[in-house]
Amino acid sequence: MEGSQRRAQDRGGRRFPATAFAALLVAGVCGGACEDAPAPVDSACGALSPGGAPIRRMTRFEYNNTVRDLLGDDTQPARAFVPEEEVLGYNNQAAALGVTQSLAEQYMKAAERLAEQAVVDLDTLMPGCDAEGEDALSCVDGFVRGFGRRAFRRPLDAGEVARFTELFGWGREAYDAPTGIALVIQGMLQSPHFLYRVELGMPDPVEKDVVQLSHYEIASRLSYLLWSSMPDEALFDAAEAGQLGTPGEIRAMAERMLEDPRARPAVLEFHRQWLELKHVDLMTKDPGTYPAYEEGLRPLWLAETEAFVEHVVFDDPAGDLTTLLTAPYSFLNEDLAAFYGVPGPEGEAFTRVDLDPAQRAGVLTHASVLATQAKPNQSSPIHRGKFVRERLLCDLVPPPPANLPIVVPEVQPGVSTRERFAQHRESLTCAGCHELMDPIGYTFEHYDGIGQWRDMDQGQPVDATGEVKRTHANGSFDGAIELAHHLAENEQVRQCVVSQWFRYGYGRAEKEEDHCSMVSLQQAFAESGYNIKALLVELTQTDAFRYRRQGGTP
Amino acid sequence: MSASRRLLSRRALLRGAGGVALGLPFLDAMSRSASATTFPKRFIVFFTGLGTVKDAWVPQGTELDFTLSEVLAPLAPFKEKLLVLEGIDMESAYHGPGDPHQQGIGHALTGTELQEGDLFPYACNPNAKVGWGGGISVDQFLASHLGASTKLGSLELGIQVQNANVSSRISYLGPGQPVPPEDDPRNTWNRLFSEIASDPDSAARRRAHRRRVLDQVMGDYHNLQGKLGAGDREKLEHHLEAVSEIERRLDAPGTIGGSCAIPTLGDPPEPFVNDNYPELGRLQIDQLVMALACDLTRVASLQWASTQAGKVFTWLGQNETHHQLSHSSPTDETRRQQIVDIGRWHAEQLAYLLDKLAAVPEGTGTLLDSTLILWCTDIAVGQTHARRDMPYVLAGGAGGALEMGRYLRYQGNSHNDLLVALCNAMDVDVTTFGNPAYCTGKLPGLGV
Repeated sequence: MEGSQRRAQDRGGRRFPATAFAALLVAGVCGGACEDAPAPVDSACGALSPGGAPIRRMTRFEYNNTVRDLLGDDTQPARAFVPEEEVLGYNNQAAALGVTQSLAEQYMKAAERLAEQAVVDLDTLMPGCDAEGEDALSCVDGFVRGFGRRAFRRPLDAGEVARFTELFGWGREAYDAPTGIALVIQGMLQSPHFLYRVELGMPDPVEKDVVQLSHYEIASRLSYLLWSSMPDEALFDAAEAGQLGTPGEIRAMAERMLEDPRARPAVLEFHRQWLELKHVDLMTKDPGTYPAYEEGLRPLWLAETEAFVEHVVFDDPAGDLTTLLTAPYSFLNEDLAAFYGVPGPEGEAFTRVDLDPAQRAGVLTHASVLATQAKPNQSSPIHRGKFVRERLLCDLVPPPPANLPIVVPEVQPGVSTRERFAQHRESLTCAGCHELMDPIGYTFEHYDGIGQWRDMDQGQPVDATGEVKRTHANGSFDGAIELAHHLAENEQVRQCVVSQWFRYGYGRAEKEEDHCSMVSLQQAFAESGYNIKALLVELTQTDAFRYRRQGGTP
Repeated sequence: MSASRRLLSRRALLRGAGGVALGLPFLDAMSRSASATTFPKRFIVFFTGLGTVKDAWVPQGTELDFTLSEVLAPLAPFKEKLLVLEGIDMESAYHGPGDPHQQGIGHALTGTELQEGDLFPYACNPNAKVGWGGGISVDQFLASHLGASTKLGSLELGIQVQNANVSSRISYLGPGQPVPPEDDPRNTWNRLFSEIASDPDSAARRRAHRRRVLDQVMGDYHNLQGKLGAGDREKLEHHLEAVSEIERRLDAPGTIGGSCAIPTLGDPPEPFVNDNYPELGRLQIDQLVMALACDLTRVASLQWASTQAGKVFTWLGQNETHHQLSHSSPTDETRRQQIVDIGRWHAEQLAYLLDKLAAVPEGTGTLLDSTLILWCTDIAVGQTHARRDMPYVLAGGAGGALEMGRYLRYQGNSHNDLLVALCNAMDVDVTTFGNPAYCTGKLPGLGV
């Protein structure tokens, strides 16, 4: 029943016309040539077609979560690891994650420390086993199998059991039993089977290079997609019972997992990266320009966006993209409410606060986003426009062309930001790219460089009219509120959100072969009313999720 | 950081580093005041981004009789140990994929085209993408020759490099294999010094454990290789190489004693806060110098920020990012001066590094005498992104291989030739580096 027969049966229930979505699918990469007719797309989505998927190494976030769930260690040892290289705005893209000696040393030392901690209480680690005793080998064998299954996220084969049992024997012989156990743990935590998601698939390829994933491999795909961590016992049990094969089985499991608290930080991590919030820690603000700014605001800005996103995705009845982009409320504490100049709660806790719907709408008007997409001493229509274009419209805005002398408009008293940037339009060389960004950014001119509302800029009334051009979301808008409401209902934005989740969730860029997976995601997202949790479940239903084409061509 | 020495008995000092330190020629030489030539040569890359202001950088005068201009003035105390090089082009960086910043930084030490790839966008063309650097960088190349016996083949340190993409990487193990720098002085300390002073018994035990476990781990990688497709196999092969490097260096001694003393770190500042840049730089330099003095490595790089990071030099009274300033009009006197100030400030940091190296006695000379430092950047001028007439400075004694104390004017010689000359100065005998198409051989005029 494994393999192609089951596949044909599984797919029978979900056939759909792909053409309606296919036309829009190309929108996300149209760049400067959107007026051109979309390329014809094969609308037949019957054939199995996952895109090539390179082997995935754990990120620091995943490592921390995994050792917490594996060993109960919540010290986040990976915080000090070499940061991941970033591609497409995400740090979990398999193609970009290599290992240098420095990182290998960090893996080694972290494994040593984790193992040392773990063997402090051997009775808990391996109950009923006297590792120093005569019969130790049989119960150590049990430990190697049990712990190994959780560390490698699959049962060990006989050869592996023998090798790790030998490692224990060496450690006990040379030192003592706890050392033997510690070395086993060290070895496992540095193994590729722990650090990478090794996916060899079912024995019989369904076509050249394409395999259906094993039940254990699906368990890991589910747990890292939805929890950014290892599988729990229920997942392991289902894998062992062979109950992670059909889309229905996987769907039921995914729905259970989204109700688990572990899903929340995992979903927030996506939003931190999608919305480029790491810059909250990195940016600089000029206190001369912004007396209201203080360093203590950074964590509050982050906390606001996290509380808001968590609420929208998990607790709001709609739980949809529209709410994420337009909600006239947010989550504030006393200090942050004071910063925004609105009535709010007392104390440090964040609670829901209704805001003036003429001034704030969803995440785009959070200070976390507005301040990071700005300069130290001014707003930045370029950055804000580029952000909307890249992160919400999935339209890549490249850096300026080679050898172009660039003159950045500098702050001038009495001259509004908008006037200063007008020269981008006048210069033919600049206009081609900047008309993609600046006019979108102008709609955010009511927010200064730290995200506070303003009616005046350099003594002049703010003009926040702007437009979106050369996309499938074109339009003219007066202010970011209008823009946000437009984007929230726009097909290109909805598809872009799917693409962003695809990239983050699968750790790779979408490929041509993923066309049908994308179409099924778009369709299901639409059918759910653009519900974020529904999209997450749907990510577990695609060819790209359930099958693997060996990827990572060197 | 005060490099105060921990009080350790001489026996502990000598054995603590690995139990086999006694009898090393290097250490013997230290205690017998041998001549400087006894000491290994060291190589340091000092990278700052976004070029300079040429007329405030270029010295006044002739080859032997010159005055350092405003930017380089802080290096005046070391004038006799400098080679200021004008007129060298990064010709290779006008070829292959990538935008000027990507090419500038990615070619600086590799001298070859970036990889084609779909990882990073560039230029005003959404369909154009670029991969990583396309070849080994000169620091890693030298490490493979000079760093075989030390605890680390090379040491890559950063000061708020932060970004993690092709525009932010100078160092490559090979095509598509960037070596990211360590930004956090705490991690630097842990990597370099946390184990160096353990007592001999536990150090021996740790080595034995590691050898056995790494052997096991390498077995896992070997066993898995054969089951993977080509791309995944290559990825795990690089990982396996990294593990093998650790295993091979388990017995590398490191030397405590002589001028080597474990630095105390105190409470280092947060690595991502903009205004901590100066202090972070000092902490990284202090540790870099001690890593060399302790012979933990012989090759290092120090990367100051990444070219498009939002670094604001507030301590120089500035409130705009370096990147933005670098794009300002050359006729804007205020901002031109701010770029000059940034260059001069970085020269002060280089002077601090030279000062620290000169404070480490080795034989009759100092650590600076056996070290060669390359100060390089990604583009010559921020406003135009030009990669020609790059502002290069060499510093140190290079173990006597170069004739220092000069200001040399070249006429468009390629930087690949300079990379060859650097290798030769480090006694690595090559006649070409990077893509041979941009290399005519050793840059003339540097040597004695």
